[in-house]
Amino acid sequence: MQHSRIIELNKENKDVFTLKFDSSMAASPGQFIMIWAPGGKEIPMSLSNTSYPPTITFRTFGETTKTIAKLKVGDRFFYRGPYGNSYPVPTGRVAYVAGGTGLASVNAMVLKYGGDVYVGARTKEDLFLLRNDFKIATDDGSAGFKGTVIDLFLPHVNDYDYIFVCGPEPMVKTMLDRIDRKIKAKVYISLERLMKCGVGICDSCSINGVRVCKDGTVFSMEEVLSLSEFGVYKRNEAGKIEFFVNGKR
Amino acid sequence: MASISTKIGSFSLENPVILASGILDETSGSILRALKSGAGAAVTKSIGTDERKGYQTPVISEIGTGLLNAVGLSNPGVDNFVEEYRNFPEKKKTIVSIFGGKVEEFVSLAKKVERIGFDKVELNLSCPHVKGVGSEVGQDLGMVEEIISEIRGKTNLQIWAKLTPNVTDLISLAKASEKADAYVLINTLRATGVEIYSRKFVLSNTVGGYSGPGIKPVALRAVYDVYKETGKDIIGVGGIASWQDAIEFFLLGAKAIQVGTAILYEDYPIFNKINSGIRDYLDKEGFSKLDDIVGVMVVDATFKNH
Ligand SMILES: Cc1cc2nc3c(=O)[nH]c(=O)nc-3n(C[C@H](O)[C@H](O)[C@H](O)COP(=O)(O)OP(=O)(O)OC[C@H]3O[C@@H](n4cnc5c(N)ncnc54)[C@H](O)[C@@H]3O)c2cc1C
Ligand SMILES: Cc1cc2nc3c(=O)[nH]c(=O)nc-3n(C[C@H](O)[C@H](O)[C@H](O)COP(=O)(O)O)c2cc1C
Ligand code: FES
Repeated sequence: MQHSRIIELNKENKDVFTLKFDSSMAASPGQFIMIWAPGGKEIPMSLSNTSYPPTITFRTFGETTKTIAKLKVGDRFFYRGPYGNSYPVPTGRVAYVAGGTGLASVNAMVLKYGGDVYVGARTKEDLFLLRNDFKIATDDGSAGFKGTVIDLFLPHVNDYDYIFVCGPEPMVKTMLDRIDRKIKAKVYISLERLMKCGVGICDSCSINGVRVCKDGTVFSMEEVLSLSEFGVYKRNEAGKIEFFVNGKR
Repeated sequence: MASISTKIGSFSLENPVILASGILDETSGSILRALKSGAGAAVTKSIGTDERKGYQTPVISEIGTGLLNAVGLSNPGVDNFVEEYRNFPEKKKTIVSIFGGKVEEFVSLAKKVERIGFDKVELNLSCPHVKGVGSEVGQDLGMVEEIISEIRGKTNLQIWAKLTPNVTDLISLAKASEKADAYVLINTLRATGVEIYSRKFVLSNTVGGYSGPGIKPVALRAVYDVYKETGKDIIGVGGIASWQDAIEFFLLGAKAIQVGTAILYEDYPIFNKINSGIRDYLDKEGFSKLDDIVGVMVVDATFKNH
């Protein structure tokens, strides 16, 4: 377990925070760390900036994220990592497609390489880390395009050489179901699954024998398409199969 | 080229390197991956009667000499397991690890996995960090004996008894498990870990099991002691990370080995790496088959089973 001092903790919107910590870790965009609330749980979190000083950007879902959000500048921040592979270095025209807190992961890429960013959220209040040139979709139309980020993005899919995607599994699944599989762009997707160890030994994040934490989290579109369990079912903490609402058997 | 095939009870393995229970063997996809990566066989994560989430994270902590874990026997429960593995293609190369708190529980678990076509079980009599099961059962000699003879009487399964090293008298425990086809030695050592800046335990459960390179000498001693007393088939496990480690276990009486924590360091290539190292060693040292080195350092073994 490592620890660093918190340099900054900013509230991005009603429930999203960015925490900057004083670590000189060598990390690349796409990598994640396991963050620990001492005495409480340890959870996976993408690095939303991998240059010094690194940051994480998180929604306060529950216990751990709420505890971390209450820390103060100067407090110790406990973590281990960075873990996982990283996004490849892009060339040509680049697009990012992010749903929900998936933006945290692609943000590290945006900071490093730039490109067009398509973000989706439920409502205007759920948006964060926005910049003027971001293309926005909200489910309720309270900001930008009314609909999903997939609907917003797909008409432009042929404009790009590299496309990076991070978001909830059902969102990614929808995109894969609808995207032209023969497009010229190289598509890379960062996946999220329940993770207990983060280092590739516990099997809690595995999809068809592929570990999201160690073999990923970034996979090519072809790799993801080869995973028959992807978008169909996930596993709970017990390892029991749970079908996605729209998952077809 | 020397043969590295081996036999545990009536089970013939192409090679002696087995995936240990609890490391990348909860999902069927991962078991297939280990077998494709060169494991001679694989043991599943321990399966119990009911679905169990296990302990909350942190469930693992890396230390210089290995790993501390308290995953807490998370498993989907035998009925969900049976559902997932009904059409699993590698049942003969897969040993189902089962755990329970009562004799009847073990028997019922064993019957359920036999019904879908598995023919081997490993009895987890040794998990050191869950109340009422594992090593708590595994230290009750009468119960161990009864679990094994009941499964023997009521199924045709081959039985591997995985024993706890957390006892003073391992030999009595081994004797109580005599009716098993093989011993699996050892499970993790009961242990804990401290984070000094938060002044908290590193595992949410406080106490867990210690595995990896640091426990190899303890595992070797367990294999040596039990082989010397019983001469039975033994599968050595604990801290094996290289072919040299594996050879040490064979020389002291193990006929096969299991690899767990070392996957953290070497990942899936470890299976082929250990196998080719063993083959090479046998060739260079002038042995034609693995069996020729099994137990050769144990001169006073009561039995010679080959
Ligand atoms: C590789 C990886 C990277 C991640 N990166 C980020 C990131 O950069 N930013 C970020 O905000 N989150 C990220 N997450 C998700 C984050 O790990 C979870 O939100 C976190 O575990 C919640 O922990 P908690 O203790 O606060 O909530 P808990 O107490 O565990 O959960 C509270 C409630 O929220 C639900 N819940 C928890 N997580 C999610 C989820 N992801 N989606 C929907 N419901 C959920 C639970 O089921 C529960 O009902 C990442 C996950 C992975 C696997
Ligand atoms: C994360 C983890 C989970 C484990 N889960 C189980 C389990 O469910 N059942 C079991 O019998 N042993 C379990 N073990 C013990 C291993 O199978 C093995 O006996 C022990 O780790 C020693 O071998 P190693 O040093 O090669 O890891 C687990 C070990 C680890 C590290
Ligand atoms: S989280 Fe443990 S294997 Fe991925």
